[in-house]
Amino acid sequence: MSLSRWFLLAASALVACPLLLAQRPSMHLPQQVVAGSAFSISTGGSGQGTLTIVGPGQALRRSVQLGSPVSIPAGVLYNAGDYVVILANGSDEQAGLIEVTPAQQPARLSFLAEPSRLPVDLQNGISGTVYVFDIYRNLIVSPMPVSFNLSDSLGPAQTRTVTTRNGVAWTRMNSAAKEGSARFVASVAGVASTRVIDEVPGDPCNLSMTAVPDKGGEAKLQTAPVRDCSGNPIPDGTVVTFTASFNGMQSTVDVPLKRDIAEVELPLPSGASVSVASGVVAGNEIHWRGQ
Amino acid sequence: MKLPLKSYDTNQQIFFAAHYMHHWWNPWNVKWFTGFSQTTYPPLPQQWTALLGHIFGLQYGYMLVQFVAIALLAVGMYRYAGIWVNERAASYASLAVVLLGSESFLVYNAGQLATTWEAALYVLALPFLYEWLRYGGWRPLIKAVVLFAAAGSAHDVIVIFGTAFFTFPLIALAIMERNEGDEKTTSGAVIARAVAIAIATAVAIAVVILPYWIALFRYPVTQAPIPHASRANFLLTPFWGMNYFIVPWGALMLALPFIIWRGAHNRRLLPLMLGFWVCFLVGLGGTTPVALWLFRRAFYVLTFERFTYYAEILSLPILGLLMSELVARFRMKAVVPLAVLGAITCGLPIAWANYQPTNSINLRVGPVAQWLNRGGHDNYRYFTLGFGNNISRLGVETDAESVDGEWYSDRRLPELMKFGGGSLDNSKYFHPGGMEALQAMLRHADRYGLKWIFVHDPWYDPALHFAGWRLVDQIDYGAVQVWSKEGVPPAHPMVFGVEPTHWQDMMWGILPVGNSILALLLFLIPDKRRLVRTGEDTGATDEPLVHERLAS
Amino acid sequence: MKGTFLAIAVAAATVILIAVGTIWPIPSAVYFAGSGNGNILRSPSTPEIAIQNLGIRIRQHQLPAAYKSLANKAEFTQLAFDEDIDGFYTSLRTQATLETVSAQPLHESADQADVRVTFHWSTVLGPYNETRNIHVVRNGNNWQVDWPLVTRPSVPPQVIPVNYLRWDVIYSGARDEWGSQNVAGPNVRIVDMRPVNRAEGVYVLGELLNDDVVPAWVDVRATLVGKDGRILGSEDSFEMISHRLLPKQVTPFRIHFPDVDLSQVASIRMHPESILISASADPVIAILNQKYSALPTASLSGQLSDQSGQIVNFTHVLTTFYDANGNVIWVSGRFIGRALAPQVPVNFTVPVPEDLAQKIRSERTIVAAYSPKGVAL
Repeated sequence: MSLSRWFLLAASALVACPLLLAQRPSMHLPQQVVAGSAFSISTGGSGQGTLTIVGPGQALRRSVQLGSPVSIPAGVLYNAGDYVVILANGSDEQAGLIEVTPAQQPARLSFLAEPSRLPVDLQNGISGTVYVFDIYRNLIVSPMPVSFNLSDSLGPAQTRTVTTRNGVAWTRMNSAAKEGSARFVASVAGVASTRVIDEVPGDPCNLSMTAVPDKGGEAKLQTAPVRDCSGNPIPDGTVVTFTASFNGMQSTVDVPLKRDIAEVELPLPSGASVSVASGVVAGNEIHWRGQ
Repeated sequence: MKLPLKSYDTNQQIFFAAHYMHHWWNPWNVKWFTGFSQTTYPPLPQQWTALLGHIFGLQYGYMLVQFVAIALLAVGMYRYAGIWVNERAASYASLAVVLLGSESFLVYNAGQLATTWEAALYVLALPFLYEWLRYGGWRPLIKAVVLFAAAGSAHDVIVIFGTAFFTFPLIALAIMERNEGDEKTTSGAVIARAVAIAIATAVAIAVVILPYWIALFRYPVTQAPIPHASRANFLLTPFWGMNYFIVPWGALMLALPFIIWRGAHNRRLLPLMLGFWVCFLVGLGGTTPVALWLFRRAFYVLTFERFTYYAEILSLPILGLLMSELVARFRMKAVVPLAVLGAITCGLPIAWANYQPTNSINLRVGPVAQWLNRGGHDNYRYFTLGFGNNISRLGVETDAESVDGEWYSDRRLPELMKFGGGSLDNSKYFHPGGMEALQAMLRHADRYGLKWIFVHDPWYDPALHFAGWRLVDQIDYGAVQVWSKEGVPPAHPMVFGVEPTHWQDMMWGILPVGNSILALLLFLIPDKRRLVRTGEDTGATDEPLVHERLAS
Repeated sequence: MKGTFLAIAVAAATVILIAVGTIWPIPSAVYFAGSGNGNILRSPSTPEIAIQNLGIRIRQHQLPAAYKSLANKAEFTQLAFDEDIDGFYTSLRTQATLETVSAQPLHESADQADVRVTFHWSTVLGPYNETRNIHVVRNGNNWQVDWPLVTRPSVPPQVIPVNYLRWDVIYSGARDEWGSQNVAGPNVRIVDMRPVNRAEGVYVLGELLNDDVVPAWVDVRATLVGKDGRILGSEDSFEMISHRLLPKQVTPFRIHFPDVDLSQVASIRMHPESILISASADPVIAILNQKYSALPTASLSGQLSDQSGQIVNFTHVLTTFYDANGNVIWVSGRFIGRALAPQVPVNFTVPVPEDLAQKIRSERTIVAAYSPKGVAL
């Protein structure tokens, strides 16, 4: 064997010696971890290593002593999802997966109640959708019963209980026959969220008006208190249109309701016919006879 | 100290310079008109402002560049007047040029940096032109061509529309003096040289600002003419007569009879006087039909205050003669009145700018820019109403894009081109075209991602209200109101016209400034001949030039 | 001698050219000299010239000079004349610029003439015309205008009680959590819609109802889809709608698609937009004595009467026209030049295309109003 070959052999042994002395790193991972909880990872091998955990919205790296367990304290991994764990020692590395699951205790609800305002007496007019989250804002996908409760000041409360599917529960409710604000509450495991639904009067019903001469000789047109078909007063500001026709001429005026009544004074010739409407709802028609 | 910054076009010049400062190699500017090419405006002074702006800031950079233009014009005038009159008269002309009313008007009132630069470089080139015409030789030819190209890269008006007023008198003089002195020539040679230098200059200018010509030929001026008061009849509208005649001419008006009289009686000065006279008539805008006869359609594109400026420059050699004669004859009794008249002439436009400010809208654009730059507001386009020329300052400070702008030559939006209004911002001053343009833009807001209108003039409120816009915010304690339209999609890139190609970007970044540096270096090389007439003569006689050869 | 002659020639030529430019001014000079008609001030040797001169002075807003030129100036003050021209309160008229004046002689004798004069104003809301019959009298060699002054409406001093009704809205903040409740937008509904083919393009006409109990800011967008599925155009109603709708209020809308023919259109997508806004229920404007006439010029005329105590600065009259079957066949609108003072009727006329004149059987009119906050009345 030539001198040069001896030299190469010695050099190779020198380089290989530390590698032979160090063992490949290994680790044992828990399959599932609850979000935000503490857990530990046992490692094998010797020497220093680097533990890297990468998951949804989170990544952390630590230097670890191989052969000793690595403790991950509570509150470190809190986003639910799959995490990749890599334990590396020089060029050797081992990888594994941990599934972080949401905590089972609901902590907050996202409650979408639509619409915020609707007419009274509308079947299935109100929809409520609830997303259930744990304290770390992870969607809790395991089934949970959600209670929906819609109550107004007068009528009996409507209640539904719906079990979440994939973290979501939804329902539909009827609006009450009486106008007013209704409280729409969704609750699950002691956590509740409240929305306010304005139940407003529907279209005017039985719209009628009268006409009397005023002091200046003009016609004073005045509606009776305007109500919807359930007897709720139509809100002030709702426009009522008076139209007067005579001999091919026409006068119109859009008047907002004030204190349930719309009134206006118009110069009307005797024989004019006057009609009243609000939106697409027509009211009565009268013939003006002057004084 | 900052008076020039209050002039009308200053903000626009700084807006262009700001773009060069940040995007030297990309003249496509998206901040106005959804995008326009700055290759439609010869770039030299703005590029120098941008370069100096890196050191001094844009405002001081602008004023420094303006100062250099005035200084160069004084140098150029001394040499140019020396062709026509003696050295003493030329020095008076050189002194007078810094007190020139229209120069002061352009600097302090109009803010036409490009015009003062083109004139300065052009006047610097004229003595070399004369030397070439009269004696030939490569050195004056190259110097003249490079300087003319530099002037063309500062602005195009003088080389296209003003060149006849300056060069024809010199050609005539060269022909008149072809047999005088040691080096005789012929009329044919003079004309041949004139043709040769015209071709060489045309080629040089074509190359130095080639992207400009490409843009011009691709998109000739097709938009409806925008009214400009310099095209008014100054007798029928005395206010504009004051603005465009009395103020720029100042006390120089008193010398007009002398200039005509002396020019008519002196054979050498006759071509100069005639050039001056025609230019003077053109500078009167719509007061005479001359400008319309000469320029035809271009009349409705040009503005004529610059021709008054040219006319005053042309008058200065003879004015210098008058001053030198008065001083020689009356000494201090002439010096004091002349100084007073000079001060009045220079000061009148400054006073007028304060009395009738062109930039009178006192507005802080900073809060508006901040509003646009935050919260994703710059995902949409905007324009302003009642901001005046502050829209250029706003353009410098904000990242958002506007559908409006102040550079009318390269706006390609149909709504802005069709009706003959100025900017949307001041549309109420352009009845009815301006209002039609505003209505058209409001109607097509969705197409442009136009969601914001900043209003500093409640005059426009009814138009916005009835067009479906809503007042949504107030800025700077109510000084500016923000109007918005619902349902407008975010702005997406829109290209009206064609963006310059990469090689055009390169040319635009290198050649104009590079040529101007070359022009400066060439100018500093000493002349073979000294064209300024020496001696104590009054310059009123027909004696030939005294050629003083310098070692070089 | 030659030099003297030349100097005089140059000076004379200058004077002649200036004289030519002044006596026969070029169009740009005329523009700035004050007349869109292509004329400048001339000696009032005819009734038409006297009227044109008056128009030029009004256009240049030289109201003292215009007042001095009137034959009947002794009958009223300069202030009254100024108010007649500029409007008595902030209005479209105060923001208008007179573009041109067209005169149609009605009667002329040696000493007096009657002329129907139409003043074409350019305003922030588009062109606006006003027609007056003007009497012109001869005074020596000159003609002078007898200005038919419209005086400031006088309203008797009084107190008009207004139960101030107003909606205010507080939205949830931008930083609120996702899913938090916000105020729902108003329910609006298109209650009628009809495309109409005309020479100037396709019009989409219709009516929009605020079906809610809150005020709404509304707009209607229409998108025309071609037979090959291509989008032919997308436009909104722009000014041909009342953008502010109170509860149960109905507005007409008209959307114009120039350069499109209805035969190209396969379907129309309608997008009503609505936003909840703060608003006031006032003012109430009555539309009195509406009368549609098909001849001689098809139009609807009537009067607006402000029933509340505040001045209404800008008003837009919008009318829906129906045929015998109750179908919408046209929507038209007209801005009113003058402000509405309380209880002072102001005339209006809404034009109708001549080809529809005979088909119209009924109409419905509303008024959109705008009074800027803090406006100097």
